[in-house]
Amino acid sequence: MDNSIFQVYEDEIQSLEEEIKLLAEKYEDSQQESTFFSDEEILMSIKSYQTEIKGHEFPSNLKAELETLETDLSFLMKFTGIQFTNHSKKTVEKTRNRTVQKHRLSGNCHSLSFQLEFQLLEMQNKENVSVVINDLSIVMESGENSDVSKFVSSTEESGNLLTFFRSFSSYAEWYEHRRCTFLHFK
Amino acid sequence: GVFAHLEMLEVQSHEAAVKQVEMEQQEEKLARLKATVQELRLQRDKLQAKVDLQQKGQLCKEGVMLPLAQPSAQAVLEWKIKSVKAMLQVFYLTGISGKLTKRGVCFCISTAYEGTYLDSYFLDLLTEPEVQIYRHSVPVFIPLEQIAKKYLQTDIRRFLSVLSDHLNAYVRRRYQADQLQEHFSDQIEGKLQRNSLCNLLVFNYNVSSKSKTFLFNMRLLYGNLCCSLPTEVIISCTPDAPASVAEMAAAHSDLFRRVALHKAFRSFSSTEERVD
Repeated sequence: MDNSIFQVYEDEIQSLEEEIKLLAEKYEDSQQESTFFSDEEILMSIKSYQTEIKGHEFPSNLKAELETLETDLSFLMKFTGIQFTNHSKKTVEKTRNRTVQKHRLSGNCHSLSFQLEFQLLEMQNKENVSVVINDLSIVMESGENSDVSKFVSSTEESGNLLTFFRSFSSYAEWYEHRRCTFLHFK
Repeated sequence: GVFAHLEMLEVQSHEAAVKQVEMEQQEEKLARLKATVQELRLQRDKLQAKVDLQQKGQLCKEGVMLPLAQPSAQAVLEWKIKSVKAMLQVFYLTGISGKLTKRGVCFCISTAYEGTYLDSYFLDLLTEPEVQIYRHSVPVFIPLEQIAKKYLQTDIRRFLSVLSDHLNAYVRRRYQADQLQEHFSDQIEGKLQRNSLCNLLVFNYNVSSKSKTFLFNMRLLYGNLCCSLPTEVIISCTPDAPASVAEMAAAHSDLFRRVALHKAFRSFSSTEERVD
């Protein structure tokens, strides 16, 4: 019996295992992305989870994990001044080396609000994972200001999400100072 | 005679037995592999059907799909955890993210060239008794100490902002040089020389005019460390070059001050026809 027949089966086993892994991830992503629980439902679940785990030894405490993550998030929002009010994403493509997600993000920075939509492409290459933003679309409050709209359209064209946030952050801070100063002198 | 013959028969029968065992083992292995393949195929088909049903369910319903059964508290919490983690990942895209640590904060500064995210750098800060940098991954040629001395104690936000400007500008200069080497190597003569901060680039490149090729020497100096465009562009050509070529050098000099390096080179292929 020659070894090539074993190789054929072993190759198929490997490809089936990869397919199964991808399908399982697709299913989980889809579940996650299409579900929504309100803050009240979250609070209720925390309460009932607490009574469930009382007196038991649980290897992973979900409540503690959630608290740590929420503390980190609220710290970042407070520190950077960037508050995200809504975030939704949808995985539109997922293969072994490539994931494409569509994101919708809204929030405000100091007192200025924004709404973003973009496509995020993650590619696994030899050494690392590359992240690229495409199809960026920005809607900003005070978008009537011609400087702001110029900035917004050049940012959308180049997909320059990072510069958007860095610049928006300083612009919003300046705008806030100006507003407060103006109110002070009124 | 007889003994030799008997020995030979013994050896033959032993070899036959060994071969028999080998064959049985191989057949067993093959049977196991076949069975595994069947199992996995079944598993895969079941999962595929599950995913297909899920997709159909989403196409039928508009808006948000509510789970049919009452989800457990654990499932709800797991959903929320994934949701918060996703939002923390979005912060990475804004350029400044991080997490709280026992003794302070660990910040992550991300960099990008337009829509492509590049290296990220971390700064582990202690907040007691005063703000100090415990560990970091900022390259040594970035003036971290200078920036820290100026801003760290009084305005951490400003400190991170200025540091982010330096890091992003460095990464973008490096990206432009890398892109040039990767996509326009046929136009570059010899080696592209650069320093670690990528704020000084020297190289020679070919330019053709009226079906003759000329060599330009280019020296780019990026005087502003927070900027990814050069402050000084010196292009020199050979003294015997005609006036039209000298004009081209002047035009290029102006172009490189305004446009990213690799984008400027990209525009040459479209303008080269015009010069000829």
